Amino acid sequence: MKMDTPADIQRMKTSLLTNIRRSAYVYRVDCGGCNGCEIEIFSTITPVFDTERFGIKVVASPRHADILLFTGAVTRAMRMPALRAYEAAPDPKIVVSYGACGCTGGIFHDLYCVWGGTDQIVPVDVYIPGCPPTPPATIYGFAVALGLLEQKLTAKTHIEGEGERVGMAYPELPYNLRVHVEREARRMAGYRQGRDIADRFLGMLTIPGELPLNQRIAALISKEPDPRIAEIFLRLGDTLRGGELSA
Amino acid sequence: MLKLLKEVFRQGDATVKYPFAPYEVEKDFRGRPEHVAENCIACAACTSACPANALSMETDLAAGTRTWSISYGRCIFCARCEEVCPTQAIRLTTDFELAVANKADLTSQAVFKLADCVCCGEPFAPAKEIAYVTALIEANSGTNGASTGAEKSSEAERRRRLLSTCPACKRANDLQQIAQIAHRQEKNR
Repeated sequence: MKMDTPADIQRMKTSLLTNIRRSAYVYRVDCGGCNGCEIEIFSTITPVFDTERFGIKVVASPRHADILLFTGAVTRAMRMPALRAYEAAPDPKIVVSYGACGCTGGIFHDLYCVWGGTDQIVPVDVYIPGCPPTPPATIYGFAVALGLLEQKLTAKTHIEGEGERVGMAYPELPYNLRVHVEREARRMAGYRQGRDIADRFLGMLTIPGELPLNQRIAALISKEPDPRIAEIFLRLGDTLRGGELSA
Repeated sequence: MLKLLKEVFRQGDATVKYPFAPYEVEKDFRGRPEHVAENCIACAACTSACPANALSMETDLAAGTRTWSISYGRCIFCARCEEVCPTQAIRLTTDFELAVANKADLTSQAVFKLADCVCCGEPFAPAKEIAYVTALIEANSGTNGASTGAEKSSEAERRRRLLSTCPACKRANDLQQIAQIAHRQEKNR
């Protein structure tokens, strides 16, 4: 008897998830990724994250697999091999789309030779986003795929409320000074940490009181354990004292 | 043998307890970007900075809305959006548990209203953005220029009107003004 209607496959998949009494074997299909995802998959099976304690095992053939893990953006050349791997895996199989490229095509989504995501060629059960997903994110994704954990992310739509307005940041400080501190902090510490450092520095400037700048910075530095950040605070203070902010 | 066992016990268990216990990530870990729509002015700086086009902005002129949306499935967690945001509305959190079974759950949206141009009445820019820019310019040009209170308020009114005019109307108004000036000069000659 042929059993490959969608209803049959859904029923078999449900019974696989509820009655699985053995290890879940994973076959990894690379559909033209950059190998960042592969590195994270292999760090997931290292002793530190040790997915084999849950019975999740990476196997060498799709014929042994319960779970197919598709990485990469599905390039034109890797489309047929990926489909062959999908056909070779026995039903019921769980398809996991791994990484930003697998989920939507990621940063390569509009390339001429890219299909743009695993779901363009095979039906996908679970999406694990990330570029690449970290090993804990991978474990979480497998837990979702095997029905052990619930997904946490849900679609959200915010509608602008009546009279919704945005206030300026640090309205008590001159605009030029705020922009200067933010730029300098980002120049010295990089775009990500620079913003946090600028926020702390500007927060220190807005503390009410007649305390001079030197003492304010000294108080900030005394609480800072990281000498690199303390140095940046000092230099930000120096740029404020210099004549660059005449406007 | 005993020495080896002693060493093994001293080292302890290297395997993390996750998912049975929460996994501690670094303070600077780049996880899911959290968008606070209340702080967003829909200026689209993040959408042009996003290298993966995970962020997108769509303007619907018929409905007078602009829809900001993020696809977590396409995001590469580079924090460029966080860098360019002028109002700190978007920030990367340390949340890494993003796996979903339904692809639609990877998208998050925010709908903003467009303001109508004071001249032609067509929607042209997000109302929140215009309000923010007006407040910013007013805060920075408070002292110089006009001296009396009446002059100041008329100047502010003119500026506010200028900011709520769409670029096409601005061009048309400019042309009209130039034509008027040229006409006047022609008469005086």
